[in-house]
Amino acid sequence: MLVKKSFNSLTGKLILAIGTLMIAGSMLFWLFLFKYQEKELIASSVKYGYSFVDYIKNSTRYGMLTDQGILIQQTVEAVGVAEGIQNIRIFNSKGDVAYSSDKKHIGTSLDKNSAVCLRCHSSSGPTKDTPSWTIAKGEQYRLLNIVQPIYNEPACYNALCHVHPKTQRVLGIVEADLSLELLDHSIKQQGMAITVYVLAFSIVISGTLCIIIWNFVSTPLTMLAQGMRKVAAGDLDFKVTISRKDEIGELANTFNTMSDELRKAKNERMEWGNTLEKKVQEKTEAIHRAQQQLIHSEKLASLGRMAAGVAHEINSPLTGIVTFGHLLRKKFPEGTEDREDIEVIIDQANRCSTIIKGLLGFARATTADKAQTNINDVLESSLNIVKNKADFFNIKLSTNFEPSLNMVKADAPQLQQVFLNMIVNASDACEGKGAITIATSNVHDNGHDYVQIEFRDTGYGIKDEDLEKIFEPFFTTKPVGKGTGLGLAVSHGIIQEHGGKITISTKIGEGTSFFIWLPALKERA
Amino acid sequence: MASGAEGESMSKGKILVIDDEDIVRLSCSRSLVPEGYELKMAKNGPEGLKMLEEEAFDLVLTDLKMPNMDGIEVLGTIKTKWPKTDVVIVTGYQTVETAVKAIKLGAFDYIEKPFTPDSLIATVANVFRIRNG
Repeated sequence: MLVKKSFNSLTGKLILAIGTLMIAGSMLFWLFLFKYQEKELIASSVKYGYSFVDYIKNSTRYGMLTDQGILIQQTVEAVGVAEGIQNIRIFNSKGDVAYSSDKKHIGTSLDKNSAVCLRCHSSSGPTKDTPSWTIAKGEQYRLLNIVQPIYNEPACYNALCHVHPKTQRVLGIVEADLSLELLDHSIKQQGMAITVYVLAFSIVISGTLCIIIWNFVSTPLTMLAQGMRKVAAGDLDFKVTISRKDEIGELANTFNTMSDELRKAKNERMEWGNTLEKKVQEKTEAIHRAQQQLIHSEKLASLGRMAAGVAHEINSPLTGIVTFGHLLRKKFPEGTEDREDIEVIIDQANRCSTIIKGLLGFARATTADKAQTNINDVLESSLNIVKNKADFFNIKLSTNFEPSLNMVKADAPQLQQVFLNMIVNASDACEGKGAITIATSNVHDNGHDYVQIEFRDTGYGIKDEDLEKIFEPFFTTKPVGKGTGLGLAVSHGIIQEHGGKITISTKIGEGTSFFIWLPALKERA
Repeated sequence: MASGAEGESMSKGKILVIDDEDIVRLSCSRSLVPEGYELKMAKNGPEGLKMLEEEAFDLVLTDLKMPNMDGIEVLGTIKTKWPKTDVVIVTGYQTVETAVKAIKLGAFDYIEKPFTPDSLIATVANVFRIRNG
């Protein structure tokens, strides 16, 4: 299985292909080299053979010229024992062996169809007389057979023996069989060496290639494949760590860029999904708020209309009560019970008057005469009204105004009414002691600029259940006779009419902050 | 209808009260007559103007919000026809706007309902102090 897998892998295939090509190439190279070397060696052997035959001819020349057969035979025998000489034969012109290194051959004659004869003689007669050579297979080694004719020459036909007439061209032939043992052995040795070299070379090259391909191709590709599997499984943070400048490095970089882009796209999609949900929620809340405000505004408006009517109707009878109360009071001496009773009537009538004034605030909150206003100035004049009042003697009043506060478009008297109400509420919350801080600042929210006015007190704080009803008309936590429950309702109406809002931040035991936000104009104070 | 018990020569001044509410007219009368003013009453604007046609008054105290004709209109007519007569607006529905409008139209002052006898006397006394130099 592993082997099959190895061969299916890129490395396996490359090594197989390169190995096969290397071996085939080496084989061909080896074959050509071998053939060439063999050819060269044979050529030199042949050359040596001819020299050897020439040597025989020269050695036996004297014997032949003097027709001393024994001398010739002795020479042939002496030369024939040399290493590598298998056989030396000298034929006469009739084809009989005249002399031989092996005496047994003397007197034997050659068949005219024998290979030696046919080299020069075809069946139709002599064709060529050039010396020739052949290689034959011996018992153990190959044999080089050299045949060279002995030509007639003046010394021969002028010799005293007169054996050969002048007209005879060829007097005989010298044949030598030379062993090619050394040559064959050398070729075999060389072949073996070359084969070993080629194999070793192939193994080394294949091994090196294997390592190179493994390190430069297989491992990075495996890493990339692993990365792709991870990315496919959703792990978009996975990075392939290949820092190279070649094609694989480029591929790895491209892969990392791709996974990055995918991650970004995925994040964007998720973020978009989340923000969409959030936006829908925000819009829903805004619509809900707008509905609530509309209901509240309508409630205030109708209450305002009613208040205006009621105030007008009630003020006249109240005038009667107050006037006649005062007139009656004068008739009773100070300290009498009757006088005290009358004073109760007057006080309660005055309380009614205060309630009526509060109610009238509604009617006024719906109409406003707006002009460019500096909130800091309105706050200053509001503080001037209250700071000398006995209620504030033990309260530390401090301000933190933004000097370059944005201007707002507002009805200053109405805002003063709101601010006074806030300050009085803060002082009531402090119960005559503590600290009130009034701060202004420029704020930016949701693409819009606002002026924020903060009224912070160190009072008891507002309970959660009270917080829900705090802007409702006639809701009050103050003692009977102290608050009408209209101050915040009127303030809320006025601020709403100005396009602003009031928010509250409170902590039981620590105090409360009222934040008023009014839309800012571009101009600065 | 209450009127001054003292003779005209003894009167500190002649005042016409225009108000549709009986109790307001009564309150004015009970507060001001003991102070020596001669008071006459009208139930509405047209009636008040008719009385002004008949006799001269030093001061008119007029309600702002009345049926038929409101206090601003009464004030306008008085200031056109009898510029020497001072007008003090009495209102249970006072706003800065109407107060400013009234003062602009020539009202001497304004007084908020419910008023106390002392505040009414003080306002009226102020009018006569200025009138008498």
